[in-house]
Amino acid sequence: MKKVLAIAGRELRAYFSTPVGWLCLTGFVGVTGIFFALMTTEFAAQATRDQFNPYAPSQLNLTDWLIQPFFANTAVILLMICPALSMSLFAEDRRSGALELLLAAPVSSTQIVLGKYLGSLGFVTAMLATTLPMTGVLYWLGTPDTGVILCAYLATFLLAASFMAVGMLTSACTTSQVVALVLSFGLLLTLWVLSWTAGLGDLGEAVAAISMLSHLEQLSKGLLHVEDAVYFLSFIGFFVFATTQRVEAYRWR
Amino acid sequence: MVDTPQRPEPTVAPEPPPMISVEGLTKHYGAVLAIDGVCFSVAQGEVVGFLGPNGAGKTTTMRILCGSLGATAGTASVGGVDVQAHPIQVKARIGYLPESPPLYKGMGVRNYLRFAAAIKGTKAPVEAIERVLEQVGLLEKVGGMPAADRIIGHLSKGFQQRVGLAQALIHDPDVLILDEPTSGLDPAQRKEIRDLLLALARESRRTVILSTHVLADVEAICGRVVIIDQGTIVAQDSIESLRGQAGRVRVVLKRPSLEAVAELQALDGVHGVETGTDGGYMLSVSGDCRTQIADVAVPHGLLELREDQSLEEIYLRLTGGDR
Repeated sequence: MKKVLAIAGRELRAYFSTPVGWLCLTGFVGVTGIFFALMTTEFAAQATRDQFNPYAPSQLNLTDWLIQPFFANTAVILLMICPALSMSLFAEDRRSGALELLLAAPVSSTQIVLGKYLGSLGFVTAMLATTLPMTGVLYWLGTPDTGVILCAYLATFLLAASFMAVGMLTSACTTSQVVALVLSFGLLLTLWVLSWTAGLGDLGEAVAAISMLSHLEQLSKGLLHVEDAVYFLSFIGFFVFATTQRVEAYRWR
Repeated sequence: MVDTPQRPEPTVAPEPPPMISVEGLTKHYGAVLAIDGVCFSVAQGEVVGFLGPNGAGKTTTMRILCGSLGATAGTASVGGVDVQAHPIQVKARIGYLPESPPLYKGMGVRNYLRFAAAIKGTKAPVEAIERVLEQVGLLEKVGGMPAADRIIGHLSKGFQQRVGLAQALIHDPDVLILDEPTSGLDPAQRKEIRDLLLALARESRRTVILSTHVLADVEAICGRVVIIDQGTIVAQDSIESLRGQAGRVRVVLKRPSLEAVAELQALDGVHGVETGTDGGYMLSVSGDCRTQIADVAVPHGLLELREDQSLEEIYLRLTGGDR
């Protein structure tokens, strides 16, 4: 476990010492900030208009009007940023030859993969944490449902973790970061849009169930279903396991 | 009858098991056969040079020994432990420096070594780091500050090589495997690394396998060489006996004559005599027959007698590079 944490720590520090890490972080903070600002402005305008509308509901719902759309937007931003964060995980180490340090060290492939994955999740967590001031503003503006917010954070984290797991596998499959980026983005986008098949009969439903988007819906409404949790955990588990197999295969090339 | 106390059987000290033993090692990369039934062993404390042309299978063999590559067939064991069966256990005893040092160039030297120490499970990492920094000369000042305090990517190639070496030494391994540690360095850097390796080789308890193309390094550092060509071992012996196997001796006489040539040719072990331009003769010999040659040559005014077989020639002959 110590060795896993050592690998995770190095990976996390590497994000903060490369431009890619800072660019993604800045981009994420910037874009989510703009979205949040626009949404709150829109919300405030709507609230002001409703004051003079006798038929409007007595109170606008923060969950429906702000929290859900904000996290839905964050999910799309993550879809674009995560491949850039995961692309270097193995591809860069293999290109530079530094992976040989890990392969020749007394650590197993599983430890290497878990270490790198945890390190990247650490960075993703830090990135998500930058949205905390924004959700804090909601408490200042009104009385949001804490349960919904926590659930939305859990959903976003699980989603980002799934993205990173897919990205890690593609990064382990090539020595080129660009190829890893394009592969993982393509794969994630495909998985994302699979949910559109939901209306096309039983088969469509089944295919849609593979998509992350289908499982995000309930979670972002604040409803934590066992099947959704199981879906995300097994999704992550599958890709982490596949990466372990891929790294093990380096020794048998 | 009186029972005489049974004297314990005189025990013969068993031959110590080799530190590294490789048997029938074979590796296919797809359809390509990289190494084919490689066998050799290295005793503890021995410093062995691993020679061969590019693509002969040196790196493949070394990587299998280090457990970073699996073999198709055959076994490799370090300290009596099979590499494939117990990779973690074996890797803890091996320090490996690949041809391009496995460096995270964005990291500081100390941070990098701290990481290497952590993943190798080094006890007392802080002391270990200072020890290796001292050992490989990274405390030297470069541009006003010690190399150890700089970012790896900002160091020269020679210093980066030292960081790679420090990484291999950090857990104080029993076995050190170095893949072309002096390649791509300028002559001054090469000499520095060579001196470092010499110092390491003198610590007799450590077993070292060193692959290189620089035969002078091998002659300076190694006691024994293993030569590999096209995936098979073509020779493994001490440098002296390799030289003796089919040597050439150069003789210079004060009074060269046909008679002298005939006498030399008649000697046992002398196969041929070629006449040089300066009154010198080049003798093809097998075994060490310098004494007999001297006996014959002295009456003719012997000026010079020396073995004229460089390791390079042996190497070229064995690997077919002279064809």
